[in-house]
Amino acid sequence: MVLKQVELSNFRLHRSTSLSFSDKLNLIIGGNGQGKTSILEAIYYLCTTKNLNLASEKDVVTFGEQFFEVAGSFSDISNNKTRIFFDNILNKKNFFLDDKQVFRSADIYGKFPIVILIQSDHAITLGAPSERRRFVDSVLSQASHSYLEILLEYNKTLRQRASLLSLLKETNDKNLYSQLDAWTETLIENGSEIIKQRVNFVNEFNVYMDQTYDKVIDKLEVPRIVYNTLCDMDEENTKQKFNDAIASAREEEKRKCTNLVGPHRDDFIFHINELELKRFGSQGQHKTFQVVLRFAQFFYIKDKLGKTPIFLMDDVFGELDFFRAEKISEYLSEVGQTFITTTDFTRMEELNLIKENRIIKVEHGKTSYA
Amino acid sequence: MLLAEPLERAIEELSKLPSIGKKTAQRLAIHLLKNDQTDVDSLIKAIVELKTKIHFCVDCFNLAVDDKCAICLSQKRDKTIICIVEEASDVIAIEKTNEYNGLYHVLGGVLNPLANVTADSLHIAELVKRVDSGEVTELIFALNPDSEGDTTSLYLIKIFKEYPLKLTRIARGLPIGGDLEFADIATIGRAFIGRITV
Ligand SMILES: [Zn+2]
Repeated sequence: MVLKQVELSNFRLHRSTSLSFSDKLNLIIGGNGQGKTSILEAIYYLCTTKNLNLASEKDVVTFGEQFFEVAGSFSDISNNKTRIFFDNILNKKNFFLDDKQVFRSADIYGKFPIVILIQSDHAITLGAPSERRRFVDSVLSQASHSYLEILLEYNKTLRQRASLLSLLKETNDKNLYSQLDAWTETLIENGSEIIKQRVNFVNEFNVYMDQTYDKVIDKLEVPRIVYNTLCDMDEENTKQKFNDAIASAREEEKRKCTNLVGPHRDDFIFHINELELKRFGSQGQHKTFQVVLRFAQFFYIKDKLGKTPIFLMDDVFGELDFFRAEKISEYLSEVGQTFITTTDFTRMEELNLIKENRIIKVEHGKTSYA
Repeated sequence: MLLAEPLERAIEELSKLPSIGKKTAQRLAIHLLKNDQTDVDSLIKAIVELKTKIHFCVDCFNLAVDDKCAICLSQKRDKTIICIVEEASDVIAIEKTNEYNGLYHVLGGVLNPLANVTADSLHIAELVKRVDSGEVTELIFALNPDSEGDTTSLYLIKIFKEYPLKLTRIARGLPIGGDLEFADIATIGRAFIGRITV
């Protein structure tokens, strides 16, 4: 799948920007704060309806304007147009697929797969468990629509159940206990399915990690992801163990009015050569792991969907010193359509630019082709 | 631009209706203004009667002109089966399929603590009373297949599992997240035929 073109209106510094892209590498060059990353942000909107950095839509609208709009056309087996329109006065986002309005983001997610390597990726290997869950959920949700639907239901169940726990504490109404049991049963039902799919995911994804490491790194390093959940991976007893764990946490849950047991507390432990990355990894090993996670995500989604994702790299190219540049460049040629932002002109020749590539210069929200 | 006050008020009221935006409301108001008086009168009458003559059935909470709804009053319906639904609109959707000949029970919602809906706020006690009175042999759960619908079914199953009843739910042919109300007739029909014991 490739993105042929985009049009941005009132999108941050871009009052009116129209761009067409190469099917291969698109290099977006400009100084800091000129509007390079906005282009990636706009592409991300077209693919997911969501903001890349979880920023508020209101912040995206050009100062003093009443709306922003991004429109783009994709080309695959079929051609699709997507458009997002944000009304700043009504504070409402409308998404259109081929001019028909789409009301649920979940119906778009995964239709136009996208993988993005970004500076904040350091949080995946260095940050809290929630960062790793978010990574895994984002990969799985694009690759499997059923996972996304169950995850949405599970998150809703968590909110409902927490709300009932609060009500229980407030009123001490004994009649609410049998309702709590019913919510617990739904939580276990959805939660067990999430655990099952995460187990399968980690098994499969480890193979992709292995292959990617072999390609980018000369040293003999073996990566491994270990899934850390509330019980052993024996599918038969997941529900039973889930149930037991909730039963023994019952008093504490009531006191804290929160859900203490379930896959929303999972972690994924990253290893290099059987050593835990978070505790023993060097800075270079962390960076490598982050990059490899994204490349592995790319090939995983590609295989699962039979559709080539768009690959974005935001301002990270300069940091990749420890990779041999030709390896990265070799990899990118395999990847398909890529968008790279950079402030660094000096390493451009290392990318082995070919004539199908496109260089876009960005200066204070104005773009030109080089 | 300043509109005549009655026109502005009409637009305001019309735009409160679901899926009617400001523009459509304006078009409707102008249309009404141009319409014959008799047409407008009969619309007003229909709306007033909708509110004054339609009640909730005292047995099943479906929409009714009298105390009881047409389905509860009918001699042709099988009074041993009750299909449990969320809203009266679900009754309409199921009736269109012609696949079901029993009675209904409209809960008036599903469990939803976030919106402050617990079992007390639903017509559950009335359902227990209907089952207690004897005739019923099967309960069919036809709630939407999401967390709230599923949890409500689970809660009701806990209540009725000690009763000598057949408990079934409609098959999951329905699209996930798609409300019963919006599913197509054929799909709901199939879901009824393929119902499974819980
Ligand atoms: Zn009735």
